[in-house]
Amino acid sequence: MGHLFRSEEMSLCQIFLQSEAAYACVSELGELGLVQFKDLNPDVNAFQRKFVSEIMRCEEMERKLRYIEKELKKEGLKIPESFDNPKAPAPKEMVDLEATFEKIESELREVNTNAEALKRNYLELTELQEVLRVTQNFFRQHGSDRHNIIDDAQQALVNIQEDRSGSTAVQLGFIAGVMQRIKIPAFERMLWFACRGNVFLKYEEIERALEDPHTGDEIHKMVFIVFFQGEQLKARVRKICEGFRADLYPCPETGQERAEMLNGVSTRLEDLHTVLQQTGQHRHRVLQNSQKEIHNWIIKAKKIKAIYHTLNMCNFDVSHNSLIAECWAPVRVLDQVQNALQHGTELSGSNMPSILHRMKTRETPPTYNKTNKFTKVFQSIVNAYGVAAYREVNPAVYTIISFPFLFAIMFGDMGHGALMFLFGLTLIIKEKELLAKKIDDEITKTFISGRYIIMMMGLFSVYTGFIYNDIFSKSFNIFGTSWHSNYTDDDMKAVNLQMKPETCFDKGGPYPMGLDPVWQGSGNKITFTNSFKMKLSVIFGILQMLVGVMLSIINHIHFRRWLNVICEFFPQLLFLGCLFGYLVAIIFFKWVVYTAECTQCAPSLLIHFINMFLVKYDAPKNETIAYQCTASVTSDQVGCNSQTLFYRGQQSVQIALLLTALFCVPCMLFIKPFVLRAQNNAKLRRKAQLHAVSQTSLVHDEQDPSVDVVQTGDVAVTINGEADTKAAHHEEDEEEFEFSEVFIHQAIHTIEYCLGCISHTASYLRLWALSLAHAQLSEVLWGMLFKFSLAMDLKYVGSIIIWADFAVFASLTVAILLMMEGMSAFLHTLRLHWVEFQSKFYAGTGYLFEPFHFKEQMVPTLEE
Amino acid sequence: MSFSELYFNVDHGYLEGLVRGFKGGILKQTDYLNLVQCETLDDLKLHLQSTDYGNFLANEPSPLAVSTIDDKLKEKLVIEFNHLRNHCLEPLATFLDFITYSYMIDNIILLITGTLHQRPITELIPKCHPLGSFEQMEAIHIASTPAELFNAVLVDTPLAPYFIDCISEQDLDEMNIEIIRNTLYKAYLEDFYKFCEELGGATADSMCEALAFEADRRAFIITINSFGTELTKEDRAKLYPRCGKLYPDGLQLLARADDYDQVRNVANCYAEYKELFENAGSNPGEKTLEDKFFEHEVQLMKNSFMMQFQFGVFYAYVKLKEQENRNIVWIAECVAQRHRAKIDSYIPIF
Repeated sequence: MGHLFRSEEMSLCQIFLQSEAAYACVSELGELGLVQFKDLNPDVNAFQRKFVSEIMRCEEMERKLRYIEKELKKEGLKIPESFDNPKAPAPKEMVDLEATFEKIESELREVNTNAEALKRNYLELTELQEVLRVTQNFFRQHGSDRHNIIDDAQQALVNIQEDRSGSTAVQLGFIAGVMQRIKIPAFERMLWFACRGNVFLKYEEIERALEDPHTGDEIHKMVFIVFFQGEQLKARVRKICEGFRADLYPCPETGQERAEMLNGVSTRLEDLHTVLQQTGQHRHRVLQNSQKEIHNWIIKAKKIKAIYHTLNMCNFDVSHNSLIAECWAPVRVLDQVQNALQHGTELSGSNMPSILHRMKTRETPPTYNKTNKFTKVFQSIVNAYGVAAYREVNPAVYTIISFPFLFAIMFGDMGHGALMFLFGLTLIIKEKELLAKKIDDEITKTFISGRYIIMMMGLFSVYTGFIYNDIFSKSFNIFGTSWHSNYTDDDMKAVNLQMKPETCFDKGGPYPMGLDPVWQGSGNKITFTNSFKMKLSVIFGILQMLVGVMLSIINHIHFRRWLNVICEFFPQLLFLGCLFGYLVAIIFFKWVVYTAECTQCAPSLLIHFINMFLVKYDAPKNETIAYQCTASVTSDQVGCNSQTLFYRGQQSVQIALLLTALFCVPCMLFIKPFVLRAQNNAKLRRKAQLHAVSQTSLVHDEQDPSVDVVQTGDVAVTINGEADTKAAHHEEDEEEFEFSEVFIHQAIHTIEYCLGCISHTASYLRLWALSLAHAQLSEVLWGMLFKFSLAMDLKYVGSIIIWADFAVFASLTVAILLMMEGMSAFLHTLRLHWVEFQSKFYAGTGYLFEPFHFKEQMVPTLEE
Repeated sequence: MSFSELYFNVDHGYLEGLVRGFKGGILKQTDYLNLVQCETLDDLKLHLQSTDYGNFLANEPSPLAVSTIDDKLKEKLVIEFNHLRNHCLEPLATFLDFITYSYMIDNIILLITGTLHQRPITELIPKCHPLGSFEQMEAIHIASTPAELFNAVLVDTPLAPYFIDCISEQDLDEMNIEIIRNTLYKAYLEDFYKFCEELGGATADSMCEALAFEADRRAFIITINSFGTELTKEDRAKLYPRCGKLYPDGLQLLARADDYDQVRNVANCYAEYKELFENAGSNPGEKTLEDKFFEHEVQLMKNSFMMQFQFGVFYAYVKLKEQENRNIVWIAECVAQRHRAKIDSYIPIF
């Protein structure tokens, strides 16, 4: 709790790292993960930094690892999951690693090129086999006699020669080959155009898919045969084939030769197959060796790279052969940082210790809130709005309770709450498994990271559901209702019956906890719950805003802004208290004082509250006023109604409150700017006096100003670091005081607060609105969907209908009431916290502490 | 009255957004300042990593060649362009196709010139721009006359209609090829211009200006390059694209020009070109006319991003990216050859 209330105290440290120990020290700090390094050379290019060659080497290693990983994936070997966290290797080991990777990579590349050559060979042979098979079939179909084929071919051509006898004398040649399937149509047209229709093309698909030797993808190819006439055409056809990247294969003319060749090819194919298998096994062995190690290698490579990137942020001090790093670290853990540095120095074997030196600075430190897995989600909700300014009160502490509670007010239903609670609980119980699985789905991830808040929201909803006495839009009668009916059975036949509180309400007092179940069946249930929930949301809203205003004083005191305490905090508190605090007070007054006997006299608070602003008071007709309400007198006798004054001195009290609140506005508006101006004027006057004094003294002492400058220069050298900060200090002090700006700022601030109080109070009514919507929706779902199946009077069939109807009811309950309504309630809660609550005290102008931590490098993926 | 602006986002809004996003990744002046400081190509790679290019060179083994960088730059552009092309609807699809035609023309000319010099086709193919590749491209070397080229190869490509004007039975020689290139370009530019005019609206506004500039640039370049060759003035006049601002008066003047000074006189009649011809020259410290044209083009393309609901941004993006690739390759070339004197003559974009 203490750590969560304010962000950690941070300090800017300078670390002098001996250059031989720097690597080990940074490595230790990376494991520790509590230090944020500042980039001391932001103007230097990425490739002009000191350790750029090392980073290049790391990138080269990563490239090799990526290659190995790709090959592993291609082989179908999985990268084993492990939670090993190897330390970053020493720079010496880096050379070994590089050598190992180099060796594996070259070995793999060699195996791959061999395999590729073999596969290419294999592909060519398969294609040849297919060509031979297809031509064989083709020639068999058309008879082995070549003349027949020629006839067929020529018939197929457009310009059939008239006399067939002449054509038989023509020598037809042919080319056979294999081409990709998609290129065939273009190829055919091109052949036709280029050879003017004097060729005959025949093609057939290869049925099995072939493997591309380089990429391993499937390719579909076709066998084709082109018949042509004469040498010129042959050359031309060859050129076209070349253009379409066809693989041409020699195909013997006679059938017998083809058959022989086919046999030869088949045996060679078998041989090749065994060779291919052996290469595959060899490759597998090579890969298996690296499979075990690759996880660690990737982490190591990434760690080395991260270390050098960090070292690149340091300044290099040539004279002392050391690196100077500047970093932010929480003060509480400085010892740990020291230890890590010491450890790093020991590891590197350096005899010079690395020095940690705290610096004074005017820079705003980063905000670091230490969280655990439970508080993390609440902190992230706050951070999503804006990171807290350094050492500001952290609203996350209050959010832990108020967030689920405000959510539950809108989501109050025991049934739905329990479902949500169980869902959150399941996620929490299985959290280890779920976190170990790397889930990429964004929505699932959101649910998992919000598991604790889901559970809390569910739990609180069960409670508010109990108060609302609402479970799936039904009620429990646990303690027994405090209402009884005075009607006889005959009376009950009437449609509309009223139960008067004077007569039907038990003297024993109200239902002990939660809403009386009698309201469940009553006709004016909504009117009653509306009034109840509306008051509830106003009370909780004003309370939350009050907490916000109270927190602002903690901030003011912590930052020693005393002026703000007087001219902001007190007027704000008074303003809120006098107007809305009073409203809360009269709500409780009404609840406590007005009993069942005198409901007629219960004041209408809304009208009273409005009248208070309008300063409108009816003169009482009677001396007796409403608060004197007893059982014996009826309202007519008292002469009161909801608008008559209800306590003695109400008019004067209300006018006093209103005046106080109005008085607060100028307090907020005027005091601060004028006080600031007075302070500034006084400062200027003092400065002018000082200036005059120093000048006169200079004249009197007749001191040479140049000597003075030299002396200060000397001082500056000796206290190096601090002089700089002092100079900065002076510059900042020179900031111009602009009265108009301060005044306008204050005016905006005041208007925002005063109007904000009113609009925010109204805004809290969303608690009631959403709660009403939720209750109504669940009632609709019950009444319109499920109730009718229960009311049906059917044997056996009814049970099936109930079963089917329940499925619809249940899925709609989950989809609409849990998911959709839950979502909207969540968003409204978020808004109430960000705007209504945090605007009272939260600046949110800080920046996040992002320590150098290897944890980010832990995930063994190389993609960025 | 058309409401095309009203419906523009329904069909093309996503892609326009995408291309405007891509535009954000174009290197800035500060990036160039860093790039020219590089000592080696590895430095260049390291710096490019911190830009939008990201890890596009990460998987290349270390001694980098300029050609690898060039290939990867092109590859990135092609991937982006193809993504746009695959997701677009008409008429943007046709528009994007039009952009590729100019690359197709360049590829055809490259291949024919290559085969004329007896280079094997396999050596020429990798030099072609991937944006302008088409199926029949590799079989181009079977053609020996323009007629054959048309009948066998180009008849199926979208360039066929442009080719009608250059069908002849003459053998392909250097001169002929240049004439073919320019005739094709002329027909292409005029067609593209017409297409953009028909699209109307903001597209016509921005694209017609860009294409008019392109046409005029070609007219100037053709005229200047024709001095001292055997090209007759009549033939030359036929090559001028007739969709620029020079048409018709300027083109007539250009057709009569005999030397560089006369060309400059023609340009002086047009405010925007006058400026380009002034202080352009090949002496050190001066920018060449070509660079001046490129600079003007970059300016035009940047302006086209100022308008919304139009296709000009797609054209502009491709052109700017091409210019950026030229810049990076230029710098890389200078770094690789340790020839730093002229490293600054890249053309900054933003």
